[in-house]
Amino acid sequence: MNRSYYLDLAASGLRMPIGTHLVLHEHADHEAIMLDGLRLGTVVEEAARRFRSPMAIPVMDLKLEKESLLLSHGVAAEQIDSFHFTEAPAKDWAVDSTPRMAATCEAIRQVARNGEFVPVGMGIGPFSLMTKLVSDPITPVFLAGTGANGDEEPEVKLVERALELAMNAILPYLQAQITAGAKAIILCEPAANKVYFSPNQLSESYEIFERYVMEPNRRIKALLEAGGVDLIFHDCGELEDEMVRRFATLDPAMMSLGSSRLLWEDAALMPKTTVLYGNLPTKKFYSDALVSVADVKRLADALNQKMCATGHPFILGSECDVLSVPGSEETIKAKVEAFLA
Amino acid sequence: MLMNTFQELTDAVEKGNRKEAARLTQVLLDAGTAPLEIVESALVPAMSNVGEKFKNNQVFVPEMLIAARAMKEAMAIIQPLLTAAGIVPKYTAVIGTVQGDLHDIGKNLVAMMLKGANFNVIDVGINVPPEKFIAAARENNAQLVGLSALLTTTMPAMKTIVDAMRAAGLNNVKIMIGGAPITQQFANEIGADGYSPDAASAVDLAHKLVAA
Repeated sequence: MNRSYYLDLAASGLRMPIGTHLVLHEHADHEAIMLDGLRLGTVVEEAARRFRSPMAIPVMDLKLEKESLLLSHGVAAEQIDSFHFTEAPAKDWAVDSTPRMAATCEAIRQVARNGEFVPVGMGIGPFSLMTKLVSDPITPVFLAGTGANGDEEPEVKLVERALELAMNAILPYLQAQITAGAKAIILCEPAANKVYFSPNQLSESYEIFERYVMEPNRRIKALLEAGGVDLIFHDCGELEDEMVRRFATLDPAMMSLGSSRLLWEDAALMPKTTVLYGNLPTKKFYSDALVSVADVKRLADALNQKMCATGHPFILGSECDVLSVPGSEETIKAKVEAFLA
Repeated sequence: MLMNTFQELTDAVEKGNRKEAARLTQVLLDAGTAPLEIVESALVPAMSNVGEKFKNNQVFVPEMLIAARAMKEAMAIIQPLLTAAGIVPKYTAVIGTVQGDLHDIGKNLVAMMLKGANFNVIDVGINVPPEKFIAAARENNAQLVGLSALLTTTMPAMKTIVDAMRAAGLNNVKIMIGGAPITQQFANEIGADGYSPDAASAVDLAHKLVAA
């Protein structure tokens, strides 16, 4: 889409959460809905309507790509969540779409067909998926940052192979969502953060961050560009300024960051053609003691004022997918409504 | 001479130099040093130093893991000797990520730091139901159970586990909790004995709880 679409939304003072999970979990059979594209599409539209968002945003389900990769590799469904590669698989394999992926694509098709909202897709970033494929991704990333290669350290070889496998799962799923009609993709790379990359090491060189995070994401950006689809980059992890600066080189239409970031300072790290999105502390919304409705209103006003002062295009929103916490659903919804008001 | 070697071993572990850690451990053993003395005088201080630096933002998670990797290399040499001598850690901790939650970085860090403080650590993994925590605590006569959760959606599982453990009669087992969304207030609400905001502080809390 034309970049002015997002800039106009920001200029209009739009406020919106990433909140489909909240609406989905109002349905007792939410697991069944996740497998039924038409019903899922209806829920995604319902969430957009409820939260007055012009964009229909899927559930931030970042387990789909791992599931497709491993099911296609013959890993039993019940083993998927806890499965980690212990040695680097020598050969690639065809990664098949899963029923949940098919339902998500069908939901996007429905949103596109109905035309009331802009259909948005969702996917995990390659680095973040890699971290789910090995038991300890942090040590080898650090070792690679010291200059160790896969021949010297098998763990490094495993991580680099896992990154390749991650791309084999991610690219076809993104393409499927693009084919289904997604006009923008929210690419979630929450593991590209200070837990996985030592700031001490990065202060000497960003080479490993470039190689493991930025280069794969540039390939994804190229895929999106080829399909005329916009990138919405999301990372709610704790970040160094330089990480944000490098994410901005992907030229996302929107950048969604976690509540640990001061967005009014981040505005200086990216071009004014990238709308900043976020970053109210929605992960704390479950507790009135941590953040009350009055706090939410105060934080929203303060953030809006500070962002207004920067002159940077901004959409007030959540720091991540607003999850429905059992027993706290109404508390959370009240706070979402509070910042939308 | 040996004092220097102890210090060198501490430094090697802190820097994550696992080959040097193994070599220096062997040097100390060859010189007749008691295995437990190596643990208490070189390895535990190394991980304690790393923990302090972590609390002060001087080092970060990757450096902690690299240090733990070096300690593990040293312990691989020492542990069989300790076992043969019938020397076991004074305290046992069962640790896991609660049911519904698959995140393990925080849990692994706490496990690593507790091992570094010479706890016997039983890691029951991720997505762990209450009955597994209870069984592991009983089987291993644990003094401590650590519960981890990263997601707000899985926090309620912590209360389920605390309630189940108390209902099972494990009233003397201390329960500590942690994870990104967790607070001291939440710990109080669900009846946990303690909350730790980070892996390094978890060791201090663990010592405090088992000594109480």
